Amino acid sequence: MDFSTLTLEIGAAALALILLVVGLFLPDGKKGQVGIVAALGFAFLLVLSFLAPGSKGPFFMGQYMNDGISVLFKQIFILGSLLVTLMSLRFTRRFEDARGEFYVLLAFSLVGMMGMAGATDFLTLYIALELMSIPLVVLTAFEKGSMRSTEAGMKYVLLGAMSSAILLFGLSFLYGAAGSFGYGAVMAALTGGQTGPLVVIGGIFALAGLAFKVAAVPFHMWSPDIYEGAPVPVTAFLAVASKAAGFAALLRFFPVVLVPLGLGMTTLIVLIAALSMVLGNLTAIPQTNIKRMLAWSSIAHAGYMLLGVMVASFAGAAALVYYLLVYLFANVGAFAAVTAWSELSGSDEISSFKGMWKKSPLISTVFIVSLLSLAGIPPAAGFIGKFFLFVEVAHKGYLWLVALALVMSVVSLYYYVSVIKTLVSEAPEGETSKADIPLALRAVMLVSAVSTVVLGVLPGPVMGYIRNILSTLSS
Amino acid sequence: MGTITLDHYIYLASALFAVGVVGVLIRRNILIMMMGIELMLNAVNILLAATSAFNGDSAGQVFVFFIMLVAAAEIAVGLAIITMIYRNTGSIDVKDYSRLKG
Amino acid sequence: MAKEFGTLFLFLAGGFVLSLVIVFVNWLLRPRNPSSAKARTYECGLETEGPTWVQFKISYYLYALIFVVFDVEVVFLYPWASSFKSAGLVPFVEMAIFIGVLALGIWFAWKKGAFEWN
Repeated sequence: MDFSTLTLEIGAAALALILLVVGLFLPDGKKGQVGIVAALGFAFLLVLSFLAPGSKGPFFMGQYMNDGISVLFKQIFILGSLLVTLMSLRFTRRFEDARGEFYVLLAFSLVGMMGMAGATDFLTLYIALELMSIPLVVLTAFEKGSMRSTEAGMKYVLLGAMSSAILLFGLSFLYGAAGSFGYGAVMAALTGGQTGPLVVIGGIFALAGLAFKVAAVPFHMWSPDIYEGAPVPVTAFLAVASKAAGFAALLRFFPVVLVPLGLGMTTLIVLIAALSMVLGNLTAIPQTNIKRMLAWSSIAHAGYMLLGVMVASFAGAAALVYYLLVYLFANVGAFAAVTAWSELSGSDEISSFKGMWKKSPLISTVFIVSLLSLAGIPPAAGFIGKFFLFVEVAHKGYLWLVALALVMSVVSLYYYVSVIKTLVSEAPEGETSKADIPLALRAVMLVSAVSTVVLGVLPGPVMGYIRNILSTLSS
Repeated sequence: MGTITLDHYIYLASALFAVGVVGVLIRRNILIMMMGIELMLNAVNILLAATSAFNGDSAGQVFVFFIMLVAAAEIAVGLAIITMIYRNTGSIDVKDYSRLKG
Repeated sequence: MAKEFGTLFLFLAGGFVLSLVIVFVNWLLRPRNPSSAKARTYECGLETEGPTWVQFKISYYLYALIFVVFDVEVVFLYPWASSFKSAGLVPFVEMAIFIGVLALGIWFAWKKGAFEWN
């Protein structure tokens, strides 16, 4: 066994334990410094992921895989964790003596996500999934005194556990057919004719469990409530990193059941994607709370990204990774702006955005760039991300899906632009206090906005890097 | 009387799973909802253990260990959240939680 | 088959009848002098003070939660121990890391005051 395959995973796990110990040694008033250590650690991991992503290949009797897909997804997760950590350095003051644990839980969740990107075995997949979700549940309920936060945590733990049970029920039927938990063995057994109604039911249950994790319709009911109730940086983390982890798992898992079980599974995922796009975008329109609106918009985006999974090809995977990167910067930018604004105004209702442009041009600019990217307006990166993705779908022959996605993108324009219209409009009352934004949050906002524009104007280098990693490290 | 085959275990596990799902969906007491989830997980455990025995492959039983462990961790977190909620609202009935509307 | 079940049935019926007989004989032979001490819930021990449905201290809850998690972790020690001789060094180191992480968890709970009684 070559443990260097797990370089990044071991690094992240060690970081989590180190943060735990550091948090214990710091005196009560200084727990916030754990956040700085965490940011440095995540930055180190990010550099490490470029310099030494670990040797490629399967690990531990084929239960784990380190290849192009997992390296790229791990970089996305680390980037998400780093940005969320920087975003929350000031925010976590409200948690007082539990401040250190906030970052410990982020790091543990990161380990779980990495595991999801690498899992090629049902057991590894399940353990990684739970290692990701249990810290996320605690993070969601982190504001002990807030009823909204604890309620969101309760909903998350109940629905999360129920969805894992559904996933497991499906997996155990697949195990019954294949006699093994390994993806390779399951795929071989199903291709070899080991199919029956029970296996199909197993495949459908397993897909339902994973669709729940990426919040696709009709398994999306949890996400608006939880996004609204959770502390804002946690919402950003949920929207960005946990969703990406779900897609990493789907990208590996889908070919296992898709190829053998035939077109039925493709139809199913096309249906889920189409429903997510339509319902997500239409329900986002009447929302009055920005976090709920972004939650519904993230459901719609899950629909677009499911198309990339459905394509199930090299180019499709590359387009999906690019889209996830674009989506990460746009969402982190939007949520960082919401964090900064809600510190200022104490509200995350869209109506409170009136006069934002006057009060803080920086927050407004970042917000506008992020929303335009989510809507897919050039030169923001969302346009080029959608372009790459839809081209692959069209290649696959699903022209009607591309048409639907385009129509829905136009619909989404309506609610994104109406937020922009609110924030440039005049404030009803004329008080002008200067915005005080912490340095780290300012940096996160700038980085996301600049990256969004750069990814939109110059997609070549990044797309080249993604294709390169995918092809040189693919198994 | 016939011998017990894998099919019987599949029926048993499916029935238990269905009872668990119904329990989560129609009961309004959080503790009972959690018991429903435990029931679902235990149905999976039965199915895995039976499949593993009939396939002559011990991996399924190892999986059961892991499920039991993760369920314990999940329930510990869930109960901690329930105590927090009880402190905030004084109730563990889901219909009293309407601050977040789906 | 039917014979085996018949034996079982006879055994069950015999046990049921015997217990009825014992209760009946006791009822025949017992002396009859009721007193207030006999009507108490507990014949020995202390009388309860106040209502018995009081709320328990939250610390019990913490102990229980921590105990449940660590108790279940022991599941992994058993297969490891039973193949300890043939396994070699790598599983030993792996289990040492596993127990090390658990110990860190206990230490964390300790430092956070989960085991304090006040």
